[in-house]
Amino acid sequence: MRKLIAPLALSCITLFPAHADEIKLEKFQVDTSVIAVERGVDAFMNACHGCHSLKYVHYRDLADFGIDKDRITAWRGDSTLDSAMASLLSDEAALQSFGKVPPDLSMMVRAREGGAGYLYSYLTGYYLTPDGKTSNHFFPLTKMPDALEISTATDPVKRSRILEQAHDIVSFLFWAADPHEAERETLGYYVIGYLIILTVLLYNVKLQVWSRLKA
Amino acid sequence: MANKIINWIDLRFPLTSFIKHELTDYPTPRNLGYWWNFGFLAGFVLMLQVLTGLFLAFHYKPDAAIAFDSIQHIMRDVNYGWLLRYMHATGASAFFLVIYVHMARTLYYGSYRAPRELMWWTGQGLLLLLMATAFMGYLLPWGQMSFWGATVITNLFRATPFIGDQVVVWLRGDYAVGDDTLTRFFALHYLFPFLIIGAVVVHLVALHSVKSSNPSGIDLADKDNIPLHPYYTSKDFFGLGVFLIVYFIVVFYFPHSVLEAANNVPANPLITPDHIVPEWYFLPFYAILRSVPNTVGGVAAMGLSVMIFAFMPFLDRSRIPGGGRYRPVYRIMFFAFMLDILVLGYVGYVPPTSKTIAIGQVATFYYFGSFLLLPLVSKAEDRWLFKRGLPTKIKDLIASEEEEKKKRRQR
Repeated sequence: MRKLIAPLALSCITLFPAHADEIKLEKFQVDTSVIAVERGVDAFMNACHGCHSLKYVHYRDLADFGIDKDRITAWRGDSTLDSAMASLLSDEAALQSFGKVPPDLSMMVRAREGGAGYLYSYLTGYYLTPDGKTSNHFFPLTKMPDALEISTATDPVKRSRILEQAHDIVSFLFWAADPHEAERETLGYYVIGYLIILTVLLYNVKLQVWSRLKA
Repeated sequence: MANKIINWIDLRFPLTSFIKHELTDYPTPRNLGYWWNFGFLAGFVLMLQVLTGLFLAFHYKPDAAIAFDSIQHIMRDVNYGWLLRYMHATGASAFFLVIYVHMARTLYYGSYRAPRELMWWTGQGLLLLLMATAFMGYLLPWGQMSFWGATVITNLFRATPFIGDQVVVWLRGDYAVGDDTLTRFFALHYLFPFLIIGAVVVHLVALHSVKSSNPSGIDLADKDNIPLHPYYTSKDFFGLGVFLIVYFIVVFYFPHSVLEAANNVPANPLITPDHIVPEWYFLPFYAILRSVPNTVGGVAAMGLSVMIFAFMPFLDRSRIPGGGRYRPVYRIMFFAFMLDILVLGYVGYVPPTSKTIAIGQVATFYYFGSFLLLPLVSKAEDRWLFKRGLPTKIKDLIASEEEEKKKRRQR
């Protein structure tokens, strides 16, 4: 509601420095089809899951969404179907390697202003500085290494494959932040459709009742 | 058989006479516009909040260690938990929107004038209760904005003379906002709606004693009154349908517009968000708080900015009824005041810069100025309008109001 009222006011409510405001975010169209999310989980398991957990997402949720059971079995390894998609990296080990515990990604799309667009821009925003270090356009202070290796990719085919991967990962994370989104949008049509019919009927009731007054 | 049962009840409880007195025979002015729908809508949203809140409380855990997780449990695992939570969160915003329209209507049409001062004051009390309830409810998700919002606002009570520090500890139950604060805010967030229901009953008893105001600003003759049921019940239900369509469009398609991104990060006392903003319905008051350079002064100004509405029956010195409808100067003041509130809301929303602070200070002056100058302006306007010659229609209104007043005094 607040955004409806103050649409012009661009926000800077992030826990991290608001560099996202200074550089234009990439336009991002989420694709939450089962195929795209499945590709996203695959890319996520390869590139992110080594360090990042999804403590609110369970392997069973993937199966409920319609993702191939055999692939889920391959991803989860020894974990049960009911367990959360927790990373194997311990907090202590993470602190030692990165100086910071990698944040849980279950809500990440909803936890940053700019949402999916910000995440996509961030993932693909790595570049090499003139002195050969890796930095990020959108979050220069990040402790995360360039997991998708876009900063060193020069081959256009490889680059576009990395962009697709980032797209799939963000689509998956978008789904993970609010798994009931599709259900919500479908239910909305029925509820609002019902209400429109009801309101038209109520308006006619009102007209009929009030018409008695004119006599 | 049905008649027999009703007769049996009527001998023991005034059921039929109550329905007759408060519904089917209850007189309402026939000229009420759709702005008069919002009282009914406020009552409806109250019930909606109580019901969705009850079901949320079945699954919520007011414990700092697991509160955030329990919200995600509601969002992901509880059947239609996401719907309950989005309805409750959107409902809070809808409640304020409806109440603000309800208040704006009262101000525009001068409905706070005699004999409806008690309606206005009980309404003012309801607004305070609603604000407290909303504020405490916002802590419960235990996200970053919950935590820091509660920290900032409870900290304001340090401005209390002499015992400020003790008051803050007393409110928080600890030296900082923490588990004790969360648990007590949950208990109070559950209690306050019942206080609101009680105050609504008082508000309605007062209403049914003085009856609804209407755009003319005076009490109409009996022939111009119609029964509440079925006329206004049918109109209210149509209005409710329109309201629900808008409400559910937000619930189903824009639910994140009422939820802060920063509040999807668990509360962390060690990391302060860059920019702490309250919910949209507190923004104008927050802007007034920030406009005063001194903390105590800012808190006093903010408190006064909410409470000053209560003085309206004394500040408005005009003899002409109907508020903005028949009074051009008052009408301009009303719309300028609405604009001023929007400006304050914007200033409260953006991170403070020297420019927005200056705009905020001007808007704050204007805010209080429009109340403090009202006695003079309304008196001058009154004199000017009388000198110019009132239309006979308004003269008749004033004459009949005087007559009403005389009758009331005799009673």
